[in-house]
Amino acid sequence: VKNPSSSLKSRFITRFLGALTKTNAEDPISSPSPTRIFQRYRRIKVASNKSMAYSVRSRRIWSRALLSRFRSRRSAFSGRRSSVKTTNCTTSPPPALIKVTIDENKTAKGGLDMQTDELRELVPGGEAMDVCNLLDETAHYIKCLTTQVQVMRKIVDFYHHSK
Amino acid sequence: MQAMNSLLNPTQQIPLQDLQINGNSHHHQQIHVPSSSQFQYPTPTSTTHHDDSFLEQILSSTTSFPWSDETGPPNPEDNNNAGFNYDEMVLASKLRQHQINGGAAGNPFSTMKMMLMMQQQQQQQQMMLAGRPTVASAAAGGGITTNHQGGEGSMQALYNVFGDGSLHGTMQAKSFVGANSATEMTQSQGSGPTAGEAVTAPEKPKQRVRARRGQATDPHSIAERLRRVRIAERMKALQELVPNANKTDKASMLDEIIDYVKFLQLQVKVLSMSRLGGAAAVAPLVSEGGGDCIQTSANGGPHPRNSNGDQTPSANDRLTMTEHQVAKLMEEDMGSAMQYLQEKGLCLMPISLATAISTATSRSRNSMINHENPTNGSHLLIQSSGGDGPSSPSMSVLTVQSATMGNGGLEGGAASVSKP
Repeated sequence: VKNPSSSLKSRFITRFLGALTKTNAEDPISSPSPTRIFQRYRRIKVASNKSMAYSVRSRRIWSRALLSRFRSRRSAFSGRRSSVKTTNCTTSPPPALIKVTIDENKTAKGGLDMQTDELRELVPGGEAMDVCNLLDETAHYIKCLTTQVQVMRKIVDFYHHSK
Repeated sequence: MQAMNSLLNPTQQIPLQDLQINGNSHHHQQIHVPSSSQFQYPTPTSTTHHDDSFLEQILSSTTSFPWSDETGPPNPEDNNNAGFNYDEMVLASKLRQHQINGGAAGNPFSTMKMMLMMQQQQQQQQMMLAGRPTVASAAAGGGITTNHQGGEGSMQALYNVFGDGSLHGTMQAKSFVGANSATEMTQSQGSGPTAGEAVTAPEKPKQRVRARRGQATDPHSIAERLRRVRIAERMKALQELVPNANKTDKASMLDEIIDYVKFLQLQVKVLSMSRLGGAAAVAPLVSEGGGDCIQTSANGGPHPRNSNGDQTPSANDRLTMTEHQVAKLMEEDMGSAMQYLQEKGLCLMPISLATAISTATSRSRNSMINHENPTNGSHLLIQSSGGDGPSSPSMSVLTVQSATMGNGGLEGGAASVSKP
């Protein structure tokens, strides 16, 4: 049980609410255009994930991957040449190492490498991790996701109640 | 002689005393030998006695020590050598005698003792300077004896004993670490049997760790084992986090984990959609597989607006229109809402069940759900489909958030429409 004043949950809540209010300020809610709605949805989703990643900071591989992805995306929007791929490459080890780990999985686990690959796709930054670290990161990622969902649900309920 | 006794392990007094008694008289001549000359071990040109060959073997192995290179006067050398040999033979015979007297039962122990003593002597030989002839000769004598007993391999077997005692990888018997473990070995005589095993199975001169029964000591397999243990730990930790974690099979456990992660990510998407309107929003959701977006209008007002006129006809929009109609109807009358749904071929079901089904169907790409559940709470509209082949993998889930989503009411219309 973490100290409530500085737990992951509280950090995430503060950040996310800040992002939400900012989004609401920029984008008026009652815009009927579907594209705008979709954009807003995207922005909120990104804000939520980003808030969570920032709350975790760089302590985890997946959060680092997410953060680098956001930063590169932002820089791409601003017109720079850096693509998402290159920034991801900086965080991942050279391809030879990745190949080694994949082969390792195949020999060690046989039929389970399909699932590990799938898990790698789900967890951000999972391509460059060996199975052991991947499982570790998955556990932490699941914990953070559940926190995210909990908080967002509470906010939704709050909004709906206060209508 | 007292010096020798004090240097060696007091627990091994018996053989030493035997040695001493008989060796005393013969060691006198060596006590006063000048320091420079005693370590001229006999060369192969010396008398080709049976014992000498063993002596050479041992002494050649121990000549790697950094003895001083001074060459003393040849005469004392010869005397020393002769006396040395003689002493060694005496010692050897004494030790052998003791060995025979020791009996069969005590053989491994006494063998070990002999070897350890010899080893210790060697250690001390190593540690001491050139000015201690007596101990050196005693050590050499012990070495000879060991060779007599075990043959050529006993030397290496002794090394194995120390390998056993420390249970490390390669260990040089001539190092001080070996000395420490030797003392440990002597003190912990419970390791006798294992030492006996090592003795009876002499190996290559390289240091080798004896394997415990049922386990390999190959570094690769150790690393493998560690890796497997770590992965098992992590799986166990994940099992606690993920619901429905009673699977014992690793593969199914991984499946569960994957589905749960997908489910959580989906929930985040859903919830972020619902935030658009704030209150009583009708919000579509992006499909799982395709990424095509379903567009709708968000109504921020207290009652759901009829936005039929706003949207251009398309499959997605039709769905949202349906949603709006349903939401409106739900507010008025549950029955009419259900009727309306049935006309369309849709049904209601709780969101929890629907999300579970959605994950299941996304895995199996097959949705043949036609389920009606007109209870209050969060519900889903699910459109039944005929044979749904793998050609339409994407499944779109529309959710309508209600004010009481968590509580189970139907105000504002909480429903989600999923179209396989």
